[in-house]
Amino acid sequence: MVFNSLTFLVFFTVLLVLHHLPFSWTTKKVNLLIASYVFYAAWNPPFVLLLWISTLIDWFAARAIYASRDKGRAHQRAWLLISLAANLGFLGFFKYGEFLLQNWQALMASFGIAWVAPEWDIVLPVGISFYTFQTMAYSLDVYLGRAKPLSSFLDFSLFVTFFPQLVAGPIVRPGQLVPQFAVPCRATRDQMLWGFGLIVLGLFEKVVIADAGLANVSDHVFGAQVPVGFVDAWLGTLAFSGQIFCDFAGYSTIAIGSALCLGFALPDNFRMPYAAIGFSDFWRRWHISLSTWLRDYLYIPLGGNRSSATRTYVNLMLTMLLGGLWHGANWTFVVWGGLHGLYLAGERWIRSRTGVAGDPQGAWNRLALALVTYFLVNITWVFFRAETFEGAARILAGMFGFAEEATAVLPTIYMIKAGVIVATVVVVQWLMRNRELEEVVARTPWWVTGLICAMMLFAVIIAQGSGEAFIYFQF
Amino acid sequence: MTHVHEQDEVTVREIPAARWAAIGWLVLVLVVAATAVWEWRMRSLGLRAGDLDDSKWHWAVERRRLEAGDHDGVVIVGSSRILFDTDLDIWSEMTGRRPLQLALVGTNPRPVLIRLAEESGFKGLVVVGVTPDLYFMDRFSYIPQYERVLEFWREESPSERVGHRIGLFLSRHLAFLDEAYRFAALVERIDIPDRAHVRRPYLEVWKLAETSAHRQHRMWPRLERDERLRDHARLVWGPFDGGGPAPESVARAIVESRQAVETIRARGGEVVFVRAPSAGLYYEAEQMGIPRARTWDRLLAETGAFGIHFEDYSEMQNLELPEWSHLSRESATHFTRAYVEVLVRKFPGLRSRPPAEPEK
Repeated sequence: MVFNSLTFLVFFTVLLVLHHLPFSWTTKKVNLLIASYVFYAAWNPPFVLLLWISTLIDWFAARAIYASRDKGRAHQRAWLLISLAANLGFLGFFKYGEFLLQNWQALMASFGIAWVAPEWDIVLPVGISFYTFQTMAYSLDVYLGRAKPLSSFLDFSLFVTFFPQLVAGPIVRPGQLVPQFAVPCRATRDQMLWGFGLIVLGLFEKVVIADAGLANVSDHVFGAQVPVGFVDAWLGTLAFSGQIFCDFAGYSTIAIGSALCLGFALPDNFRMPYAAIGFSDFWRRWHISLSTWLRDYLYIPLGGNRSSATRTYVNLMLTMLLGGLWHGANWTFVVWGGLHGLYLAGERWIRSRTGVAGDPQGAWNRLALALVTYFLVNITWVFFRAETFEGAARILAGMFGFAEEATAVLPTIYMIKAGVIVATVVVVQWLMRNRELEEVVARTPWWVTGLICAMMLFAVIIAQGSGEAFIYFQF
Repeated sequence: MTHVHEQDEVTVREIPAARWAAIGWLVLVLVVAATAVWEWRMRSLGLRAGDLDDSKWHWAVERRRLEAGDHDGVVIVGSSRILFDTDLDIWSEMTGRRPLQLALVGTNPRPVLIRLAEESGFKGLVVVGVTPDLYFMDRFSYIPQYERVLEFWREESPSERVGHRIGLFLSRHLAFLDEAYRFAALVERIDIPDRAHVRRPYLEVWKLAETSAHRQHRMWPRLERDERLRDHARLVWGPFDGGGPAPESVARAIVESRQAVETIRARGGEVVFVRAPSAGLYYEAEQMGIPRARTWDRLLAETGAFGIHFEDYSEMQNLELPEWSHLSRESATHFTRAYVEVLVRKFPGLRSRPPAEPEK
């Protein structure tokens, strides 16, 4: 079920009513759990089985890891491996199976062996990358001694399945969410209204900006099978940068708002990423729950920056390459991650040579570096959006003025749309760079907040479409 | 004002201090008022509640009816002409059978016919609408959202099915939900000069039809009387340069059609082809690029199927085609009556049922 659908509107209304009826706290949690399974099954019922299996494996694996703490690390490691093998096995089979077979076929062909991969007609379970990482974090936390196993199977099941963030994050850690299940909580009137406000903001980002405003601009450019010129290539890429942000940040904002209406708090997932100054800053602002997950469960276990400088760079690159692959079974995503790894490594090297830490002094310096960061981030989006390297090369050739016999593909109205919307998104992010949304709302006259909220909701209503899926669902 | 974002600590979200009740009321009042004004404006443009729109979700519902055996033994496949030009109530009235309407705008019906032959087990009458420039082309669709429609009816999620039903309910009460009048679509209709060789969104197809239950399409009344809309539609159908499909594409279309006809006939079914009228420059361009002798006549000769070409029947002449490609509402009723009469003469068994009540 997607948030921008009429089905979700009805589903959420019914759930809110149920959650505010005078049931016991346990009954309300059972309602939430059933609702979360319905939310997931509404897309493809049989795949609920995957959620159940994942829940059971990590529930028992974590308990076994904890119970065998006196039997030595090998016992614990064995249970952890069972959890990892199951979770990564599902992920590998459903998400990377075809990719592995195709690469195997190419490898065999390079040795002159004609082997043809069987046809792979497996549907990717929506959100599998998200809930797999979330449940793995639980077992890993218990293994690393950061947490004890939960005592309530209901709370654990709800942690794995909680519908607002189930299919596209934020990827939540047990410590962030599970304690909220322990005590009865109900949204206050203000919490609920702020939650609705966030839902409207998220829908506006998704439905109005990403889908109605920018999607067809980037589709036009990236779908063109001809060389595109400088202006078209840049506008298409900038449009995608706005689309991917508003699509994904929009989802996270709706998730946070929905949870808040039910009385639960989810962490932020985005903080004005296009106002980032440098790449470590960018990754503190973009998909925060994934970048911190990769930091805590991959980069630091690999050794982080605790060893030599060379090893640190290797760890950084490995983390970002795998982070790229997490997004999709395609080498273009690996290159996307690799570019970000190179940027982070380059920034680290420059900082170590110049001794500069934190943001540079002077507003113009900060602005210039933010623009350089945004420029380089846009280069990576080409690999993220293009389905093939040929497609990416075609766009990059246009962006750097190397396209021969370039063809104009964007209609004027698309150029105006993309220019206005992307400029607005970037300026707003820059102005909000060091501010929280809550802070801005608290300082704004109430009627201005109401007016803006009404305009956004009205725009969502008249821009309504056919409920396009969120881009990050496919990851 | 800070959030707790440490990954091992319970998340806490601060609620900004504001007059939330007042904000809530203000939003409610403004949104209801603005939506009411928008609805009034859309109705003044000729939209009406009860126009259910058309989409792959609508098509999927009808396709599943075929699979479930919930039909009267007649299926229509084709492009927009047979879709707009067929009055299902007239079919019901004349034969007691209400066809399943599986024609789709902007698509080539051949893949639908082939799937029907190979996958459905249907053994009734298949009426195939032939719009020459679509039927003899190699691709399936010009409409991106219809590209996977032949698989979609099986894959549609429970959430989409429920959403479709809710959408139908709302469309019966609100006019502004029309897909053709979404805000983004209206923005793209701004007529501004464009770059050389770039097809303007202004030249996309605008609203042509109204749709009622079971995908009954009829020409949008405003199109029949609004000269600007009519001229725009004619402009969109161009350029009328007389181009047509390559001979090998025509040959492929005929071979595939013959195989489908044979498969359906082998299990007791029947296939008929119907060429609905066209007019003006559109008709002239068809005569040049897709002449009847090279396409239609060969199709009938090589498939052995019965066909109805509007040129061959006096009762199908002098019909009104405001934008050269589709019949006006009145003419569609007239044309349906005429071609069903021909079918009934050819296949007397069609009139084996008592007349059905017209669909509301």
